Amino acid sequence: MRFRTVMALTGALALSLTAGCAKDDSVGSASDTVTYWLWDANQLPAYQACAKGFEQQNPGLKVKITQLGWADYWTKLTASFIAGTQPDVFTDHIQKFGQFADLKVLQPLDDLDIDASAYQPGLAANWQGQDGHQYGTPKDWDTVALFYNQKMAKSAGLSADQLNSLSWNPTDGGTFEKAIAHLTIDKNGKRGDEPGFDKHHVKVYGMATGGAGDSDGQTTWSPFTASAGWNYTDKTRWGTKYQYDSKTYQSTVKWYFGLAKKGYLAPFTDYSDGANPPNVQIAAGKAATAFDGAWMISTYAAAKGTKIGTAYTPTGPTGKRATMMNGLADSITKNAPNKAGARKWVTYLSSNNCQKTVGSYGIVFPATPDGTKAAVAAYKKKGIDVTAFTRPVADKKDFSTFSFPITNYSADVYALMRPAMQDVYANDAPVSGLGKTNKQINFILGQ
Amino acid sequence: MTTLTTTPNVPNTPTPTAKQEIVRPPRPRPSVGKVAAWVAMAAIMLITLLPFYWILRTALSTNAGLAAHPSDPLPVDFTTGGFERALGLQSTKEAIAQGGSGGGLKFWRYLLNSVVVSTLVTVCQVFFSAMAAYAFARLRWRGRDRMFGLFLAGLMVPAIFTLLPNFVLIKQLGLVDTLLGIALPTMFMTPFAVFFLKQFFMNIPREVEEAALLDGAGKVRVFFRVLLPMASTPVLTLGVLTYITSWNDYFWPLMVSYSDSSRVLSVALAIFRSQTPQSGYDWSGLMAATLIAALPMLVLFGVFARRIVSSISFTGIK
Amino acid sequence: MTIASSSPPTRRPRAREDGGDGRLAAVFIAPALLGFLVFLLWPTLRGIYLSFTRFNLLTPAKWVGLDNYDRMVHDPIFWSSLKVTVEYVLINIGIQTVTALAVAVLLQRLTQSALLRGIVLTPYLMSNVVAGIVWLWILDTQLGIGNEIIGGLGFDHIPFLADKTWAIPTIALINVWRHVGYTALLLFAGLQAIPGDMYEAAKVDGASEWRMFWRITMPLLRPVLAVVLIMTVIGSFQVFDTVAVTTAGGPANATNVLQYYIYGSAFGRFQFGYASAMSVALLVVLSAITFLQYRLTRAGQTDLG
Repeated sequence: MRFRTVMALTGALALSLTAGCAKDDSVGSASDTVTYWLWDANQLPAYQACAKGFEQQNPGLKVKITQLGWADYWTKLTASFIAGTQPDVFTDHIQKFGQFADLKVLQPLDDLDIDASAYQPGLAANWQGQDGHQYGTPKDWDTVALFYNQKMAKSAGLSADQLNSLSWNPTDGGTFEKAIAHLTIDKNGKRGDEPGFDKHHVKVYGMATGGAGDSDGQTTWSPFTASAGWNYTDKTRWGTKYQYDSKTYQSTVKWYFGLAKKGYLAPFTDYSDGANPPNVQIAAGKAATAFDGAWMISTYAAAKGTKIGTAYTPTGPTGKRATMMNGLADSITKNAPNKAGARKWVTYLSSNNCQKTVGSYGIVFPATPDGTKAAVAAYKKKGIDVTAFTRPVADKKDFSTFSFPITNYSADVYALMRPAMQDVYANDAPVSGLGKTNKQINFILGQ
Repeated sequence: MTTLTTTPNVPNTPTPTAKQEIVRPPRPRPSVGKVAAWVAMAAIMLITLLPFYWILRTALSTNAGLAAHPSDPLPVDFTTGGFERALGLQSTKEAIAQGGSGGGLKFWRYLLNSVVVSTLVTVCQVFFSAMAAYAFARLRWRGRDRMFGLFLAGLMVPAIFTLLPNFVLIKQLGLVDTLLGIALPTMFMTPFAVFFLKQFFMNIPREVEEAALLDGAGKVRVFFRVLLPMASTPVLTLGVLTYITSWNDYFWPLMVSYSDSSRVLSVALAIFRSQTPQSGYDWSGLMAATLIAALPMLVLFGVFARRIVSSISFTGIK
Repeated sequence: MTIASSSPPTRRPRAREDGGDGRLAAVFIAPALLGFLVFLLWPTLRGIYLSFTRFNLLTPAKWVGLDNYDRMVHDPIFWSSLKVTVEYVLINIGIQTVTALAVAVLLQRLTQSALLRGIVLTPYLMSNVVAGIVWLWILDTQLGIGNEIIGGLGFDHIPFLADKTWAIPTIALINVWRHVGYTALLLFAGLQAIPGDMYEAAKVDGASEWRMFWRITMPLLRPVLAVVLIMTVIGSFQVFDTVAVTTAGGPANATNVLQYYIYGSAFGRFQFGYASAMSVALLVVLSAITFLQYRLTRAGQTDLG
């Protein structure tokens, strides 16, 4: 090798080594920094503002916020538990709560004296472990409602009031199915309820597809199964038996996926988590309505050229409407490097001060009623009416809310239900097969 | 002196004289085979490049426009917003307004990190692997073939075996969240590099080396002065490919880095993927970021391509 | 009178021939060996040990003997994963190798243009993840430009990545697109080692390009082609990134390749022991295939020197 080349390479090597060894930030040093993880990049400014307020109240303490997208968040968190590089505090999700409780990586928060009544009903209780200890402080909540393309609804002759008074049943689909059918238009311009409708060549689907729903169906079939009176497990929290073998569940799911067979619901093949989620289908004009969560409100509002309205989830055979109310929480890790600071931060996060700040950014509904009010006002300023999402929480007469299932082995349940549901939706597998899956699930839970 | 060179195909044209009396024989018509070959080449180039055009077109469109006009061949609502987000020139507020994510990306920092890691990995890995390949290809020692078989087996080690133990080791060495920590596992060798170079070393005619050995040169000298120069093509090729692989590595750097000081470009670009469940990607930003991240690699390849091409001659020493 | 020969019969001077390079070899191999032992061998041994345990990554591993293997053998998803992976590898490697060979030969015989060589390599410049995402966008059933073109030609949209029959071939082709340039470059480097005057001589003898390919190129390329094949097959068996970003194993396990199932078991369901057992199975399968390949293609020998 030429001498010069050797020298150049050695130089590059030396430079790399010195640069490689230097680091200016340390990973959450113990005494004066609190590390906090969250996944929603859009909420980052809100929490940075919150952190500022916290640092003013607690001079000497600094909050270091790390944002990791949903796709990588849980992998990185798990790896950090294993290697001992975990954050002090992190945003927790009910779906993972059961798993983390199993693995005993969460710190009990009973001594923080969380007052459940300071938050929207049910939020604090959802974060109690099987042992009765509190493992998360309520952070924010979201519900599911029906987004619809206002122009398409108008040309279909459906007013906002009509869309707000829909009802369904597993036999004939009720006014809901009629509305969806009427909103469906095939390539020849025929609507779904007109003779000559070609279900194989649909131009605009009445309802967008959010996939097969996996084990929860949050933005797909859960409004229907719940308003039919079904619950995921035998108990509201920490049930030991799942109920995917129930006739109510199976007949509802059969009816729901049947909508795709009739051509009203977009088929499974049209769904893509990254490229073509429901909001993109609406924005592209390929679907007229979509169930989606409150965290997507701003995205729908920003769709160019399409004005989006929102409506309540339809009334079911029980006479009530149902929508999943999912509450996120902040949890402290069991081996947090800075436990004292973490407790202070978590207390501040769940306080009205922080929640009002976060609410004012108009991205999510914080858990405290004042925070929620601030969020509603912020949305109003942007010209968005969020009643469809907030009324279910306040009005217990016409609405019932329910949570993600909270059990042990939640990851296994997900891993088994996801392909089973996809099989029913995409490959026309019989719903009765879900009974077999349910048996497998209950076997695992029984261990 | 042995010179083995390829001579370019020179068609048989006689030198024209001033009087132009000699009638030039008609140019040979391109054979059917040659035409077919060029067509095949063109088709391959097209399939290779079309997605890049689509990336460019998407990068220059707005997110809102993309959903509404999925098949417009030109950028929809032409905007440089995607590139601005990718280079970290937009604030989070502006990013959200454009339906994207990733405001405030520290682009240049991540670029530097990527360069440092990739350079470190490439230089060390290629060098150490070349040394090992020489030992396997030219030196003779007991257990040589068995050890080579063992190295070869390393190709098949499932990624999941190495991920966690390596991570725990990096932590125990105190190298979490450092660039050295990212580079360390692949810095010494990869089975592929050793394997690849050994094959090439074996293919190189021994005469030149044996001549040097007879002249009294030591084996070490032969390695540095004779073999490596003769093997410069495969060594450079391996270097370029290793650099690219290291540049694009995603999962391991994701595990090791916790802060901006050690985040590399490939990990940073994940910000354009779904931030929340079911929200879809920031296509404009993601496509812009893809192009920008690939640019240094293009430059690198451009610089070395000529060397890889031109060193096709094996010249003797004497 | 015969002189009793006290000197040994003439043979080549033993000097430093057999095994004499030991110390020098040790020096040369030391860094690579260190890396190998620390970052490859030790984790593998630990992984094999873990395959006999029940381990959720956060509490100490519990020995369970052959339980994981027993479960694996009776697990229909494991066998389906294996089948799906094999199907993927066959399509991927088949098409990729033939195309790469064609490209490499075209680059060698048709034109020496560095530009074309650069163009062919460009897909490799993006990461696996990004390549998957780009094609996810292009091939989207409703909005992808690919299907817009197909629709424009009068056909129904094809659910490339969402249909159980199309998904695996599509993913295989996405990876072909990404890796052809890389593979072709490696083969091209091998083609460069073939002395040019062999082609000249053959041309003088009146051989056609096709004939020269089979009689000169292929035999002399064999060691390099063997390496490339072994490497690409091994890599292909471990496909993960593309599946993760495009189909996430769906629909209904149609693209749940082995590596994806392993990852899901380890990181998703915290069943690291079971994931390790499946990894050991993968290791065994790969070893067998590689060993066969190495032998069949005589990759260890060269016809050149």
